[in-house]
Amino acid sequence: MSPSLARFVIATRFTLIEHVRNRFAVALVLLFVPLWISLGQFMIVDMGVSFRLWATGEILVARGNELTQISGALNAVTLIVGFAMFSVTFSSGTFDRRLAMAGYPRPQLLLAKVASLVLASAVVSLYATAVMWAYWSPRQPVLLAVSLFSAAVTYGAVGVALGTVVRRELEGIFLVVMISVIDLALQNPIASKGADTALVRLLPSYGAMQSASAAGFSHSVLLSCLGVQLVWFVGAALLSLLAFRRRTRSAVTGRVPSSTQGAPCSLPTARRPKSTTRS
Amino acid sequence: MGALMKVAGIHHAYGGRAVLRGVDMELPRGSLVGIVGENGAGKSTLLKILAGELRPDRGVVRHEGRFGYCPQQVILNDSFTVRQHLELFRTAYSLPDLRRAEEIMEALNFREYAGERVGALSGGTRQKLNLTLALIHDPDVLLLDEPYQGFDWETYVRFWQLAVQLRTSAQSVLVVSHLAYDVDRLDVLWRLKEGVLCAGAGLAS
Repeated sequence: MSPSLARFVIATRFTLIEHVRNRFAVALVLLFVPLWISLGQFMIVDMGVSFRLWATGEILVARGNELTQISGALNAVTLIVGFAMFSVTFSSGTFDRRLAMAGYPRPQLLLAKVASLVLASAVVSLYATAVMWAYWSPRQPVLLAVSLFSAAVTYGAVGVALGTVVRRELEGIFLVVMISVIDLALQNPIASKGADTALVRLLPSYGAMQSASAAGFSHSVLLSCLGVQLVWFVGAALLSLLAFRRRTRSAVTGRVPSSTQGAPCSLPTARRPKSTTRS
Repeated sequence: MGALMKVAGIHHAYGGRAVLRGVDMELPRGSLVGIVGENGAGKSTLLKILAGELRPDRGVVRHEGRFGYCPQQVILNDSFTVRQHLELFRTAYSLPDLRRAEEIMEALNFREYAGERVGALSGGTRQKLNLTLALIHDPDVLLLDEPYQGFDWETYVRFWQLAVQLRTSAQSVLVVSHLAYDVDRLDVLWRLKEGVLCAGAGLAS
């Protein structure tokens, strides 16, 4: 294994350890996901409701409780993954910086976060899909899981960006919750009369919601909607990348390899960057 | 003996408040150097600049060789054990093994905590690990910001034994503290006052 890959693997392993030790997030996954979906199953009327799939113009008919479960599952996975990524990023921010300044390559540190985000999103999305499947049979369960996954990774990237820029933990948690609530409440065709307006297309989980609805109640595969979601993910990931780079940057602009130990090097001034060293 | 670090004309301000107004100093090879100053004098700011954590408004810092930096605030990850911290920093420093880390843990007397989660450790043991992470790559220059906060007397003595060993190996240690407790242990003492360094009272030989 190359040194770069080894560093990536080690960083990923430690990032996953952090996630697993975030007991609150683990408890949320285990309890909140089935609770939300079960409440949708039993508390919402199972009367048929027709709604227009904005992306295709197709009119779909679904039971109210099943449609609410999709909306609830999206809400649950975005909140949980967004919170988990925010929490880990926020709490390990200064530690990541210390590691980076000690010489740990920042690309590997960031890629490890992305890898853990992808893994966590996949696990939570599969779990949510399985719970829904226990109550009813979505037409395209795999596409449903992929749709949930696409929303989860987007919010996870948002969580990393928030974890890097906000100063207080409560601010970040509040923002994750509010963004998810507004995003999904406005798209609920049962609760929102604006669910088929142009404004809704601009919401962060629009693509996932459209794709998940199609997966639940039709045989359409809305690749364009998954593409829209991918754009949201890439945008959020780039934001988090920039924020992470800014947070972990060193005033030192380079690094002297150990073999050059003893060679003169310098820290930069504000205007005149030099080579450097490690902490 | 050449200097391991040369600092010239460091200026830094927070907003309109100038904290450092032209700091010049040299850190000779194989020396124990102290910087003292009142609270808010700019000691930690200076050390952050020396460590590359903060970019000065003006001035140059020249280093020779590797350095270790132990920040005033304990920077650890509560989710990991002591051993996991060492493993991560071994990777960061590209070290072949943790032999040096084990020696330091032995010297600071906390080897038995290797398997413990850091979040469950006492403040003193956390500070020992904080210090160890700055030392395991055997740096030529060690920058320490109030390094013995939370240490008991025995650990405090062991810390200075370790510092003397480093000096004997031609490595240099720069300690920043708000109190000049350790004047007799130092080769050079600077006082940071009104943004500049002046020779402190009580220079040792």
